[in-house]
Amino acid sequence: MTYAYLFKYIIIGDTGVGKSCLLLQFTDKRFQPVHDLTIGVEFGARMVNIDGKQIKLQIWDTAGQESFRSITRSYYRGAAGALLVYDITRRETFNHLTSWLEDARQHSSSNMVIMLIGNKSDLESRRDVKREEGEAFAREHGLIFMETSAKTACNVEEAFINTAKEIYRKIQQGLFDVHNEANGIKIGPQQSISTSVGPSASQRNSRDIGSNSGCC
Amino acid sequence: MFGRSRSWVGGGHGKSSRNIHSLDHLKYLYHVLTKNTTVTEQNRNLLVETIRSITEILIWGDQNDSSVFDFFLEKNMFVFFLNILRQKSGRYVCVQLLQTLNILFENISHETSLYYLLSNNYVNSIIVHKFDFSDEEIMAYYISFLKTLSLKLNNHTVHFFYNEHTNDFALYTEAIKFFNHPESMVRIAVRTITLNVYKVSLDNQAMLHYIRDKTAVPYFSNLVWFIGSHVIELDDCVQTDEEHRNRGKLSDLVAEHLDHLHYLNDILIINCEFLNDVLTDHLLNRLFLPLYVYSLENQDKGGERPKISLPVSLYLLSQVFLIIHHAPLVNSLAEVILNGDLSEMYAKTEQDVQRSSAKPSIRCFIKPTETLERSLEMNKHKGKRHVQKRPNYKNVGEEEDEEKGPAEDAQEDAEKAKGTEGGSKGIKTSGESEEIEMVIMERSKLSELAASASVQEQNTTDEEKSAAATCSESARWSRPFLDMVYHALDSPDDDYHALFVLCLLYAMSHNKGMDPEKLERIQLPVPNVAEKNTYNHPLAERLIRIMNNAAQPDGKIRLATLELSCLLLKQQVLTSAGCIMKDVHLACLEGAREESVHLVRHFYKGEDIFLDMFEDEYRSMTMKPMNVEYLMMDASILLPPTGTPLTGIDFVKRLPCGDVEKTRRAIRVFFMLRSLSLQLRGEPETQLPLTREEDLIKTDDVLDLNNSDLIACTVITKDGGMVQRFLAVDIYQMSLVEPDVSRLGWGVVKFAGLLQDMQVTGVEDDSRALNITIHKPASSPHSKPFPILQATFIFSDHIRCIIAKQRLAKGRIQARRMKMQRIAALLDLPIQPTTEVLGFGLGSSSSTQHLPFRFYDQGRRGSSDPTVQRSVFASVDKVPGFAVAQCINQHSSPSLSSQSPPSASGSPSGSGSTSHCDSGGTSSSSTPSTAQSPADAPTTPELPQPHLPDQLVIASETEADSRPSKNVARSTAVETASLSPSLVPAQQPTISLLCEDTADTLSVESLTLIPPVDPHSLRSLTGIPPLPTPAATCTDPLGEEAACAEPVGPAED
Repeated sequence: MTYAYLFKYIIIGDTGVGKSCLLLQFTDKRFQPVHDLTIGVEFGARMVNIDGKQIKLQIWDTAGQESFRSITRSYYRGAAGALLVYDITRRETFNHLTSWLEDARQHSSSNMVIMLIGNKSDLESRRDVKREEGEAFAREHGLIFMETSAKTACNVEEAFINTAKEIYRKIQQGLFDVHNEANGIKIGPQQSISTSVGPSASQRNSRDIGSNSGCC
Repeated sequence: MFGRSRSWVGGGHGKSSRNIHSLDHLKYLYHVLTKNTTVTEQNRNLLVETIRSITEILIWGDQNDSSVFDFFLEKNMFVFFLNILRQKSGRYVCVQLLQTLNILFENISHETSLYYLLSNNYVNSIIVHKFDFSDEEIMAYYISFLKTLSLKLNNHTVHFFYNEHTNDFALYTEAIKFFNHPESMVRIAVRTITLNVYKVSLDNQAMLHYIRDKTAVPYFSNLVWFIGSHVIELDDCVQTDEEHRNRGKLSDLVAEHLDHLHYLNDILIINCEFLNDVLTDHLLNRLFLPLYVYSLENQDKGGERPKISLPVSLYLLSQVFLIIHHAPLVNSLAEVILNGDLSEMYAKTEQDVQRSSAKPSIRCFIKPTETLERSLEMNKHKGKRHVQKRPNYKNVGEEEDEEKGPAEDAQEDAEKAKGTEGGSKGIKTSGESEEIEMVIMERSKLSELAASASVQEQNTTDEEKSAAATCSESARWSRPFLDMVYHALDSPDDDYHALFVLCLLYAMSHNKGMDPEKLERIQLPVPNVAEKNTYNHPLAERLIRIMNNAAQPDGKIRLATLELSCLLLKQQVLTSAGCIMKDVHLACLEGAREESVHLVRHFYKGEDIFLDMFEDEYRSMTMKPMNVEYLMMDASILLPPTGTPLTGIDFVKRLPCGDVEKTRRAIRVFFMLRSLSLQLRGEPETQLPLTREEDLIKTDDVLDLNNSDLIACTVITKDGGMVQRFLAVDIYQMSLVEPDVSRLGWGVVKFAGLLQDMQVTGVEDDSRALNITIHKPASSPHSKPFPILQATFIFSDHIRCIIAKQRLAKGRIQARRMKMQRIAALLDLPIQPTTEVLGFGLGSSSSTQHLPFRFYDQGRRGSSDPTVQRSVFASVDKVPGFAVAQCINQHSSPSLSSQSPPSASGSPSGSGSTSHCDSGGTSSSSTPSTAQSPADAPTTPELPQPHLPDQLVIASETEADSRPSKNVARSTAVETASLSPSLVPAQQPTISLLCEDTADTLSVESLTLIPPVDPHSLRSLTGIPPLPTPAATCTDPLGEEAACAEPVGPAED
């Protein structure tokens, strides 16, 4: 599968905010979250289409590795985008955003696109952090903001794709040096690899997008 | 959705009614697998989906029904997975399979379920399967799979991965083969896996022995070589740089080095003694000493030894000391740096080698003789003493047996090691792999000795001491490291080396693993040592000289260097009991501080937005104090210092560019030296920040508003809210209050905002309304100024609206003027009595023209508009406090400058540059005397000094004397000129007063319409902390400077 660019993302945030579920929901929709079965994954890749360009997103979850400082700092540096996730039903996960953001700013390239995500928007009745608070935090720190639900798949596509759009925009503005792979962006191989592709996750996903939008 | 998932699998088989999360469904999937043992184009998707569904059922079973695991195991379903994998079925199937395995292992929560999955060794077979690693996607999923497994390692599960009988540990050995993979995410995953493995190995002796004996040397030597190669590349990058073009690459290489150091530190803090000894040995003898430290002193010597340049070496060593705190490592490293004769390091090394009979390659930066993969392969074959016996999940029950096994093994190893100890000298002929093993034992013994035996360390210390003693006391100063430090700090042209040297000193003294005694030998105390009575005088003098240089108008000292100097000086002389600094040094420091005051005076009023800059600099300095570790993460300081912001280099790490940055820099230097001086003298800061949070009116404060001017209004906020409030204007703040129900005449504050950050505009089609915005200054470079109030105020009629507008506009100007006067006081500039400040006099009204407006164009326009400039002039004359602005004006108007004494107008005028001020002349002439004194005092001790105090006195006298006369002389002529803009009739009162010239007319009216708010009635405090009398602050430092000038010389010996 050939692509124009490869963007590396990381997902950060407190444990239990649903990072790996978001990742799985985005990369492999076949795992339906409806069966009261919480399934997540720490790595995934998927192709998306932005402005007619095939762009591959590679997403690395850093969960479980927080105890090693070397690991988190390296992850930040190698990523072009970061999803900073909190749980709208647990205020403490929102309160910790500042320190996550500080870490991210310290270790990442200054161009890294950070998307703030309030997850679990399906649990409206247990909401502990107002949407406006998330918006205000994002505005103050120059982040993109969205509320998502990994469970209902609401806004999950949009979160990943909007981040990709922002990175793509920055590339076109010449802010990213695309030839420097340390930034988390890679130019795709020139020759197309001729592997016939079955109904992969990405193709089916593109079909699902329509049905997902408008749920939040 | 449920239905689709089902039909996807069962489609065409007519079994769609089945619940997909059930044992039955698993049985059905098993059936599918048995029918499709060969992967073809046609059944590929079916197989992938089947595996995926099996995964889902297993995860469901883990949480709900363990019988699915029994079935899974009973039917050996993993075999099908392996079978599919081995058919070279292509990337699509491989990736899907690896991903489902990832999901499976990640989501299993019960230990027993995990044992089921790990049993029969199938997972190890998948680990060693030769995937097509050239495919980046397969590589990514594969390494993630290993990482996922490594996160599942614990005392029990480890037995499924590590087999001590066969010396098999595929998870670990397969992973470390990718330690230098070009893809950074893969390298990070490898590091994660190794760290997870090391953490578990703490409780597993056999595994620990395996890792140390069979893998540690190959892995660490290759790793160290990998790091070193990057360092040499980094050095190349610095050496070949032209015009900062290599910065991008350089910052990657620096970040890479940091990643490595953090990784090494993470290994070291797992605190596995076995591993740490091997690692410390490799780091010291294969990298830090032969490459970094050797380059410190042997810059000019030729030879084929790999070398890096001095700044790079200092920079990297600083990073080492900032990050790694492992005591044996940092102490050995510091020992060589501080006390070793670096140039003879290698001669010494040979002795060491002879004594220890270790490998001759020790303490040398060389490439490992074979690749990591090959070393691992050889070690593995060598270790195969037992019949191959794969670990089995049943091992769990046999744990006790296993515990005995490793213990015996260990004993065996130990005996073997003893045997080799004697004969290791003549080992050359024996097999390569065997040699490696023995060298490890030998070396780890060695470093253990060096690390643990404090007695031995004491001995070396004594040796060093006695050696030093033979060369008399002065030998201490001939140590190459200190010489290099002093030399770097003495550099007059720039602070390129000085910054690194200071960082290294800081890093060494703040290293937690460091033995304080080591540093005490160069009289560099660690912070927070309770008792100390001396400090390193030559170092302190050099630090003070850096401060003095920084306070010069054309000083080449970057702010980062200055801040670090301040930190180090404080660390040296501050004790819990107080400051132990000698008077003479303290006096020199006061001299530097005084210089910095002079420096800021040049710029006072030189820029329209001086107040905003002053407060902004204070805010950013206190909110973001220097973090040396962050400083040393920035690659840009590796390139020679530059002045241009076009490089994107942080302001504090480069020289200023243009007048605005020169002003900012001067302000910072002033803040730093002021704070240092206060701290060393043990005095609290009472003047800064100009606005203290605790002095301000806050929301919910209850104020006595009797006799205050209150204007009723309706406040409509941006989001549509509408409330009735009373507007009150205080000295620094405006507030919106609501009557207090409990006390008549009192009000509860509902909102309070700083007048200086306020923006008032009229509303076009409503003469009763005003738009008011108050911004909160940006707290970080990433955030925008955030409006804390954005609202439309509607008053009962247009008269009240105009009144309010004037009150606010006036208030804003007043607030800013008050603060400017407080700055003047800080700079020892005379200020006018406060009574006039509070009154809305004519003079102050004309001053509206030049006061800084953060959000308005006028500030910029002002400088080019001749009328405005003249009005600046006028207002200045009426406010004696603005002395320096006056001086600037002198230069731009030759007719007036002739009145002033020659010393003040001596410099060429007309260029508009602020550095032509009179105090500039004095400070530059005083530079050499103060700067030189600590350096070369013994030879030329007293020559320049006697001039210093005289000059200063003259300068300040002329300043003071000339002022009143000038005021008298010019006031009439200028006043008319200043009034001219105010004669323009006020035609559009609805448009902002602040932007328009009409401001003046209206403000004159305002004098009669509304008297100023009496501050006492609002709240007695809010504001004016007592200003120091200018005379006192002025004379004091001068006296001290004079004192400083004389006794500098004696301090030198």
